[in-house]
Amino acid sequence: METTDLNLFVRTSEENISGWNRSRIVDALIRETLIDRDTAEEISKEVEQMIRRSGIEMITAPLIRELVNARLIEKGLESARKMHTRLGMPIYDVDSLILHPNKENANVPHGPEATNLTLAENIKKEYALLSVFSQEVADAHMNGDIHLHDLGFVDRPYCSGQSLEYIKKFGLDLPHSLSMAKPAKHAEVLLAHLVKFAAALQSHFAGAIGWDAINIFFAPYIEGMSDNDVKQLAQMLIFEFSQQAVARGGQAIFTDINIYWEIPKHFVNVPAIGPNGKFTGKTYGEYEKEAQRFAWKLFEVYKEGDGAGRPFFFPKPIVHITEKFFHTDGHMDFLYHISDVASDKGNTYYVFDRGETAKISECCRLSFKLEEADLLDAKEPWRMRYCALQNVSLNLPRLAYLAKNDDTKLMNLITDRFVIAVKAHKEKRVFMEKLLALGENGPLALLTMNRDGMPYLRFNLASHLIGMVGLNEMVQIHTGEEMHASKRALKFGLKVIAHMKLLTDKMRRQENMKIVLEQTPAESTSYRFARLDLRYFSPHAGRVMKGDIASGEVYYTNSTHLNVKHAMNPIERVTTEGLFHPLIEAGSISHVWLGEAQPSKEAIADFVIKTFKHTTNDQIAFSPEFTTCNKCHRTARGLADTCSYCGSADVDGITRITGYFTKVSSWNKGKRGELKDRYRNVEFFSPESPKAVAND
Amino acid sequence: MPSRAPDCPAVKGFIETSFVDWKGHMSSVLFLGGCNFRCPFCHNRDLVLGPGGFEDIPLEYVVATFRKYKHWVDKVVVTGGEPTIHQDLFGFIGILKNEGMSIRLDTNGSNPAVVRGLVNDGLIDCIAMDVKGPLDRYPRWCGCDVDVGTVRESIEFIMGSGIDYHFRMTVVPFLHQEQDVYTVAEELAGAKDLVIQTFRPDITLNPAYEHVKPFSPDKMDQIKGNVADIMSGKGRKQAKNLHLDDLDSKNRL
Repeated sequence: METTDLNLFVRTSEENISGWNRSRIVDALIRETLIDRDTAEEISKEVEQMIRRSGIEMITAPLIRELVNARLIEKGLESARKMHTRLGMPIYDVDSLILHPNKENANVPHGPEATNLTLAENIKKEYALLSVFSQEVADAHMNGDIHLHDLGFVDRPYCSGQSLEYIKKFGLDLPHSLSMAKPAKHAEVLLAHLVKFAAALQSHFAGAIGWDAINIFFAPYIEGMSDNDVKQLAQMLIFEFSQQAVARGGQAIFTDINIYWEIPKHFVNVPAIGPNGKFTGKTYGEYEKEAQRFAWKLFEVYKEGDGAGRPFFFPKPIVHITEKFFHTDGHMDFLYHISDVASDKGNTYYVFDRGETAKISECCRLSFKLEEADLLDAKEPWRMRYCALQNVSLNLPRLAYLAKNDDTKLMNLITDRFVIAVKAHKEKRVFMEKLLALGENGPLALLTMNRDGMPYLRFNLASHLIGMVGLNEMVQIHTGEEMHASKRALKFGLKVIAHMKLLTDKMRRQENMKIVLEQTPAESTSYRFARLDLRYFSPHAGRVMKGDIASGEVYYTNSTHLNVKHAMNPIERVTTEGLFHPLIEAGSISHVWLGEAQPSKEAIADFVIKTFKHTTNDQIAFSPEFTTCNKCHRTARGLADTCSYCGSADVDGITRITGYFTKVSSWNKGKRGELKDRYRNVEFFSPESPKAVAND
Repeated sequence: MPSRAPDCPAVKGFIETSFVDWKGHMSSVLFLGGCNFRCPFCHNRDLVLGPGGFEDIPLEYVVATFRKYKHWVDKVVVTGGEPTIHQDLFGFIGILKNEGMSIRLDTNGSNPAVVRGLVNDGLIDCIAMDVKGPLDRYPRWCGCDVDVGTVRESIEFIMGSGIDYHFRMTVVPFLHQEQDVYTVAEELAGAKDLVIQTFRPDITLNPAYEHVKPFSPDKMDQIKGNVADIMSGKGRKQAKNLHLDDLDSKNRL
């Protein structure tokens, strides 16, 4: 209530007009801006006069404030005006927000909680652009040169990778919580702690919460449990996460669970923590069978789907395929098992950890390669807590409009935008430092709690992500060809990303910040950039724009992906897209859109193995499409207008939007345009069927 | 690179990598134009009626693609239309075989001599034959006059050929009665399997069929279950009874 009273210092009505207090204006100006008292007095008098003169009978506090702002502008006091400005929304916008669903992020359902979230986000967005970031950065965001992701969550880090070990060791002891729970004794309790903690973390991060090696860390609790009980536990875990859409803004917790069939090398000799947070005396290497049992059951649950046979949207299961995977007993059975899920429900993500790298996946496609220091952490896995503070994406096609086919100019423009992105990261970092410095009494108390000699959020290890949108269109504008169309175009695309990688390395040293490239999921950004460029760069933009301009369903191709519509051999796609992946440290993905087709698990498993062996692709996922009926609550394959079981037209389409499954009806226009275009590996009679010889 | 045989059938469509056509494997798929059947529910209408409308995909391209992806895909499905109507199918398949590919032939069974020849020459590794409906009314299913003797001969040959095979039937409401499916299953008694496929009304040879609604997934599951029972030697209804009896006896134990 304090803030409300303070801001609404006048509630003018006929009775109160006599009680009008001009000095409130002066007080506010002195308190909020840097102008001197005399100027403040002068302004307040002018405003008073104007209100008197107008003869209006009722005035609201916000209006008085805007009148004061108008005077500040007249006097050329622009910076004071900014400090004195008000954040908020027109009543028309609030009205439509309350009545209509939010389509920017398909993970936000429509409801009072969601409305609250959007309202709060809007104000925080404005706050961020006025107060957290410099004008240069804010303008670059506003005009669509760059995109600062999740501005509505400016007062939180972006995304994070977590360790179950922390909860196992320290229990659930959160700052300011009503009760403290000691380390769990039973698997079910550990699960409850996990879900609660994830919910707590969700309200402290903007994006994904990833859990590393979940099946391995659960293993000591599973020892001695019957298969049925393990299945029950797997079911609880998945349902608990997938039904958490009662948390922040009615959003599901965007969770990833990382799963290994083998015990990866960096965990083999690590002492295992078991019931009561005590070391069991064994190492994780000795829990392989239990970990495998849990992994298997988790995928049994995924295969069954939810009560209506739909795929679970969350948590997303990410299976790491390492070299050791292929030397571990039962790996083919497991590969068929998870490929069955991939074919039937689409959940499975395959992450390829080739050679000696170990990785943790965090977000849609964000995965961290563990470095040497991290491998030391692995010996005390509760320390393995990572985060990225922010994500900034560059609008690549726009640079090509500006460069007018001049290579040097284009590369220079990339550098310029990159530097602005780094500036944005520095500003966010300063802001986060300020919030975290408030410690356990500050807004991010949870992230500053110190149970193991260091704050929960290890700020010094935090990453800063720089992503890209529309490399394909950039290349198309600049070279005249899309990246799938010629070797030359593809090579140019690789050159651009190599340049960005070089900038990343340089800036990392120069700024002493962990800057990393990532493939931006850009669920709404590719649509936003496309719309802005159509506005500023027509007719040029219209010629390369993907989707349908007439219906407004426009988009740029995501990150470094190839044209989603082009009828392309999936082998060629994972191979060619995979060429970019080694340059993009924070993780990449290739999608194989399945549509209605349901491949056999053997075919998928074969493709996965060969992708591991013959390409440099980092991660792949297969995406089927579904129609789920709201009337008979059954789910059929493919996107259809009516239910194939009962014929009802009350149906929802479901498929993967970027990194997760969701209902198509909630998608923004750009994504819906992309959905129509996606090549689903069935059409083959294309007019431009290949004539040339495929060999190089 | 093999020089292109002058009379090789023209490839009208090429899926370089398919996950679904050859169950259990990645495969390529080659579509040859033209067909001697006119099944009203056929979903490759243009390929059957107007193959000339499709550009030829050069065999050199196909072969080069096979070589490029030889570490990935070593299987190819030759389908149509109806591949066996092409005189020079042997040479064509020979070229594919030379590239080290395993080959599945999709056929309607109307040219048993060609099928027999391909098998005897060791050119194909698998056959998928469409059985359109009960043999006694074959022209009804195929939309043209068909010597059902050839179809019967193909079925018998395939079952005794010793190579891998599948029989397939697409179930089309209104054209087929449910009983027709079981009749086919009974006619194929002793065969390895009969794959039941759901009719798709998107594009059909006879446009009237585009308005036919396929059976619901539930109905299809039921049909598939019954077919499986028949194929495994248990009668359909009997099968169910047997099943119940089994349960009862177990319960008693």
